[in-house]
Amino acid sequence: MKKVIGFMRKYPAFTGLVGLLIVLSILSDRFMTVSNMLNVLRQASIQAILAFGMTVVIVSGGIDLSVGSVFAFSAVVLASILKSGSIFFAIVVALVIGGAFGAFNGIIVAKTKIQPFIVTLATMAIARSFTLVYTNGMPITGFSQSFRFIGRGEFLKVPMPVWIMFSVFVFTWYFLAKTKPGLYVYSIGGNEEATRLSGVKVDRYKILVYVISGVFSAVGAIVLTARLNSAQPIFGQGYELDAIAASVLGGASLSGGKGGVVGTLFGALIMGVINNGLNLLNVSPFYQQAVKGFVILAAVLMEREQ
Amino acid sequence: MEKITKRFPGVVALDGVDFDLKEAEIHALVGENGAGKSTLIKILGGVHKPDAGTITLNNRRVYFHSPLDAQLAGISVIHQELNLVEELTVAENMFLGREKRWWFVDRKKMRQEAASIMEKLKFHVNPSEVVKNLNVSEKQLVSIAKALTYKAQIIVMDEPTAAITKTEVDRLFKIMKDLKTHGVSVIFISHRIEEIYEVADRVTILRDGKKIGTYDVGSVSKEDLIRMMVGRKIDDMYPKYNTPSSEVIFKVVNLRIPGKVHDVSFEVKRGEIFGIAGLVGSGKSEIAMGIFGAIRAHFDEMYLYDKRVSKISTPVDAIRHGIVMIPEDRKSQGLVLILDVLKNLSVANPEKVTRASFILDWKRAKEFSLKAVEDFRIKVSSIQQLVKNLSGGNQQKVVLSKFLYKSPKLVLLVEPTRGIDVGAKVEVYHLINRLANSGVGVVFISSELPEVVSLCDTVLVMHRGRAMALLTGSEVTQENILKAAAGVEVA
Repeated sequence: MKKVIGFMRKYPAFTGLVGLLIVLSILSDRFMTVSNMLNVLRQASIQAILAFGMTVVIVSGGIDLSVGSVFAFSAVVLASILKSGSIFFAIVVALVIGGAFGAFNGIIVAKTKIQPFIVTLATMAIARSFTLVYTNGMPITGFSQSFRFIGRGEFLKVPMPVWIMFSVFVFTWYFLAKTKPGLYVYSIGGNEEATRLSGVKVDRYKILVYVISGVFSAVGAIVLTARLNSAQPIFGQGYELDAIAASVLGGASLSGGKGGVVGTLFGALIMGVINNGLNLLNVSPFYQQAVKGFVILAAVLMEREQ
Repeated sequence: MEKITKRFPGVVALDGVDFDLKEAEIHALVGENGAGKSTLIKILGGVHKPDAGTITLNNRRVYFHSPLDAQLAGISVIHQELNLVEELTVAENMFLGREKRWWFVDRKKMRQEAASIMEKLKFHVNPSEVVKNLNVSEKQLVSIAKALTYKAQIIVMDEPTAAITKTEVDRLFKIMKDLKTHGVSVIFISHRIEEIYEVADRVTILRDGKKIGTYDVGSVSKEDLIRMMVGRKIDDMYPKYNTPSSEVIFKVVNLRIPGKVHDVSFEVKRGEIFGIAGLVGSGKSEIAMGIFGAIRAHFDEMYLYDKRVSKISTPVDAIRHGIVMIPEDRKSQGLVLILDVLKNLSVANPEKVTRASFILDWKRAKEFSLKAVEDFRIKVSSIQQLVKNLSGGNQQKVVLSKFLYKSPKLVLLVEPTRGIDVGAKVEVYHLINRLANSGVGVVFISSELPEVVSLCDTVLVMHRGRAMALLTGSEVTQENILKAAAGVEVA
């Protein structure tokens, strides 16, 4: 019991999630079913994957606004290669594109000291433009059964996107909690100058965090393309905001040095549950953004109270 | 001010302190770091509220709820970090928040009034000049002029002479005496005993939050003043048992840092404590930053234990060569305040806390941190305590322990005792002695002359980026250092 209370104190987002689950299962009898819960998980998985990358960047004291556009560009390049080439090759290229955009962000942030907000805002515009030019504004659709398995298949009754999200979660958790670069990310976010004067090659790790975020965008793009059997040039619009929201709901501080993927997972699930619950309750989707906005404000205020 | 008491979590900053100020006097306030000077000033200036005690101004009891209250009552505090808006002009700063007319600013009238006040101060700066283009001394004078726009009866100056040249100090003192003739009283804080004798009428000594006494400056000797400040005999304060030799273990020739340090060369011998002194802005801390690779520096030659060091461009290079630096500002440069002691120590010592070079071994990290806490006698509730919740002295010990397990060959200590209590200071001095005796090169950079004079065998004095004097043995005196720091040749 003590452990549970400690956990709830450490992750207010968990408490919030449990509260939401209870309220929604009272309000709708279709909510708390195995199939609906798997549905929530599947829908939240892509946002969660992006949010894990965003959390790493935010912990380092940065921000990555380009994730949505990089997501779209990875998706359309992936889709065009799938039309002719092998699945494996297409996936590798998509991941490399994500990583390359991340490296671009990271190198500029680390070497020029321009604020990450500005740098990634520029990349956001650039990658979106690349996407439109590359596709001429048209979606690319129709892929093989085996590729679609990534988005639609199940393993042990659990949807593949959930498995992929879970793997990314474990990887990121291990990275932040158990590795030296992860420790440096917290330290850089907490005080970059002190970290540099401790003999840490700060630039290298700042680049790394943006590469991670870029690659995770590409992972999300692969999952969504497979699920919809289509890649759209308008993919990923507003995803950066969902990712930031999930990180902040999970306890990450935009000033850096604080946060973690366990909290972010709960944050992403809260967002997913809200979407799903409002649908089940027949609330107009036009209200969804407003509800999310108020939830974020409430969560951050509650955290400050502590 | 009567029986002023102020407690902060864990410390009593002021314990029933009385303080009185006469009309038209210059009253010096002295004491060591942590003695309570700044707390007293902050209470007078309305920043803090006292837990007990009263403030009476012109026979009327006053209560200040904010700095503005104090200012409107005629008390202006000029802090070390001057509270001017850099991007605004001199005149705009002087009238900030009280611009003539609502909404539209009558710049002409403001400029005229600013000019007339500066005329009174015999201080000539264009009121339309943007403040960021002024030097420290000019900014101070703008702050004084600003205080006069509030019709200040009391002006408090917190270490106004720490960062300015001798000529500028003389000008400031003249203005202070001028203010006195206009009926303004000045409270003057300084660490330089000589200045107190030069300008002050009375002096109040604080120590450990208690008032030791108030004296007419003429009636108390320098020695007594220092004894009252420190509260014990000076020999206890500054332990010294290092054994200098003639073997040179570190040498740098023509160190240059653009705009900061010009062609400075020096060598450090085994067992000696090598000091670098000088005013703020003289380039003394930049020397350490440059050698450590924290800022861009060039040099013709550098040797460490007969090994030539060809280039240091980052702290990583310096650490690889065995050079470490205890940085000047532990909060902004030394520590990650929002992380715990364990993580702070681990970041600087990855080889002690990882396996397979990048996987953290928290068990080893904990053992390592517990050892550091014990070796350096760091007082923590646990190694998971956040560094921001430690006292200054314990924070500084964390910084020291971060770097000293790297088996350095040369340690550059920049202001290692700034803002820490007397007990911790003495521990740092002991540590410096032990480091020197263990064969590590020790460069001790400090603005506090008593510790430089007492600890160092050799002192390099900097003036405006140049090496002004190299003092050894009996030449190492406060007088000689002050002279050289002001740019005067030492005979």
